[in-house]
Amino acid sequence: MSRGTLVYAAQRLVLITFTAIVVSSIVFIGIHQLPGNAIARERRINPATEAALLHHYHLDLPWPQQYALWLGGLVHGDLGESLVNEGTQITPLLLREAKTSVTLGLAAVAVTVIIGMSLGVLAAIRQNTWVDYVASTAAVVGYSVPSFVWAFLLIILTVTGFYAWSGGTIYEDIGWGKIQQIPVPALALGLPYAAIVARLTRASMLETIRQDYVRTAWAKGLSARVVILRHALRNALIPVATILGPLVTGIITGSVVIEFLFGIPGLGQEFVTSILSRDYNIVIGVFTFYAILIGLANLTVDLLYPVLDPRIRY
Amino acid sequence: MATVPTTIELPDEIQIVAADELPEQVTLWQDAWRRLTRNRMAVIGLVIIGVFLTTAILSFFWTPYPTWKQALGPTYQGPTLGHPLGLDDYGRDILSRVMGGAAIALGVGVGASLLASTIGIVLGLLAGFYRGKIDVGISLLINISYGVPDLLIALILVVLIGRGIQNIILAISVTAWLGMARLVRGQTLALREREFVEAARSIGTKNLKILTRHILPNALGPIVVQATYLVPAAIIFEAFLSLLGLGIPPPAPSWGRMASEGYKALQIAPHIVLMPSLALSLTVLAFNWVGDGLRDAIDPRMRR
Repeated sequence: MSRGTLVYAAQRLVLITFTAIVVSSIVFIGIHQLPGNAIARERRINPATEAALLHHYHLDLPWPQQYALWLGGLVHGDLGESLVNEGTQITPLLLREAKTSVTLGLAAVAVTVIIGMSLGVLAAIRQNTWVDYVASTAAVVGYSVPSFVWAFLLIILTVTGFYAWSGGTIYEDIGWGKIQQIPVPALALGLPYAAIVARLTRASMLETIRQDYVRTAWAKGLSARVVILRHALRNALIPVATILGPLVTGIITGSVVIEFLFGIPGLGQEFVTSILSRDYNIVIGVFTFYAILIGLANLTVDLLYPVLDPRIRY
Repeated sequence: MATVPTTIELPDEIQIVAADELPEQVTLWQDAWRRLTRNRMAVIGLVIIGVFLTTAILSFFWTPYPTWKQALGPTYQGPTLGHPLGLDDYGRDILSRVMGGAAIALGVGVGASLLASTIGIVLGLLAGFYRGKIDVGISLLINISYGVPDLLIALILVVLIGRGIQNIILAISVTAWLGMARLVRGQTLALREREFVEAARSIGTKNLKILTRHILPNALGPIVVQATYLVPAAIIFEAFLSLLGLGIPPPAPSWGRMASEGYKALQIAPHIVLMPSLALSLTVLAFNWVGDGLRDAIDPRMRR
């Protein structure tokens, strides 16, 4: 890593911190403009208890003061306490859940890149044959079928299908905690984006394999594997890398639904449960975490460019 | 001895014709339409959209059974003659509900696309044309929004403002306009430097007229393509909200809600989930095909 890259990465980290603070501040201020208070529930509550609770969460202060207190906590990495489950510190909770979400997200990115690139390369080197038509049609269809529909299909296939096929000996349980529970949600999450990667890889490969240096590689008598994978694919990857950023954001968005459907204890599911139980402290915390995660993911992608294309320097 | 040609031989593709035999003049849009209808996938997409649109309009006046009516037969019953798509967990007719769902999906999709496009076009034009503070503000908003998943913003808004169909459209548009604004801003920035805009300005054309008569029509191609892609995106978005239990409230037959209600019975009655999922995927696929077709039809680089 050159010095320029380090300076660039440092600048970006500052920017990510800034974005995270701005995003969570907007959400914080927005939520605190709401009428009523977060403690009020359907059940009646003792006025003394209510006052004590409001005081405990600093909700009795005017919002600018609350904001100052919250911001002070934020710069120390303290996101406060859950409004629903008293005494639950948000930062360690969300850190644990972020680990789950990142695991699922990385598995989905792996699915996307491996399946997408293989389909794309296959379609390009067999251009205008049935392989190409099948792969290209699969790409549009794959993109139009949303992640949750893939989830339904995969659950029917693995849970119900395998169970019936094996006469009840294989029982695939959905959920989280075992390594064999990762592939199905990762596939559901990654397949729509794999289709986009396949389309891009195909277009980019078609352009690359017509270039002179690839013809030279063939003329030298190199094997097809070396020409396609080492010479052509490496350069064909550069345009594909440009969509990795939006793709990561898309996968994070999709994971909200997938975590909910599969009962995966990640940030997305936490967000949905918290917003339904009006645990606004956690809602704000999840926004902070997502802003940081998306920022870091995009930074990683940007740091990948110079590796793929040495002409790019920071 | 070399023969010197006495007549110049024109390449085959150039033909000299009399002025009155010139091929009819076609506008960009006529040309685009011709290309679109020659694209097989786009035509299939248009047909599918037409079928769903007809179904949606029909559902306002007639469905085989009322979409809300429960206990029409055994719950979880698979497809039969009387109920071609089966019955759901409350014994409601799924075909009727899929029909009603088409109206909601298309309503939300087209509604959100129109609203988001309108906001995006106006603000994009202003940012690109006047630059300065408004541009800084909009660019800042766009950049911040890249750091947040838009689904979360929509979820918060829906919880805050309620779950009616207008509110869902609003919640989707709140983030969806940013992409359109970015596109229009870029187009405007490029177009405002062109000679015809300069010419218009030099004869004293008002800014508003330059924007509406000179810049907007020239940016309309990519705008139409983007607006088309916004429709399936909004349909999926509404399904996401419904799946999470925050979409249009029951008993409205939204496809996402139908899937979410059937999810718990996925093993014993997969048809409850699969029918609305199929309808949704088909609609999205159709719009994507039309979008791809439009993009190829309008993109000037593809013109021959």
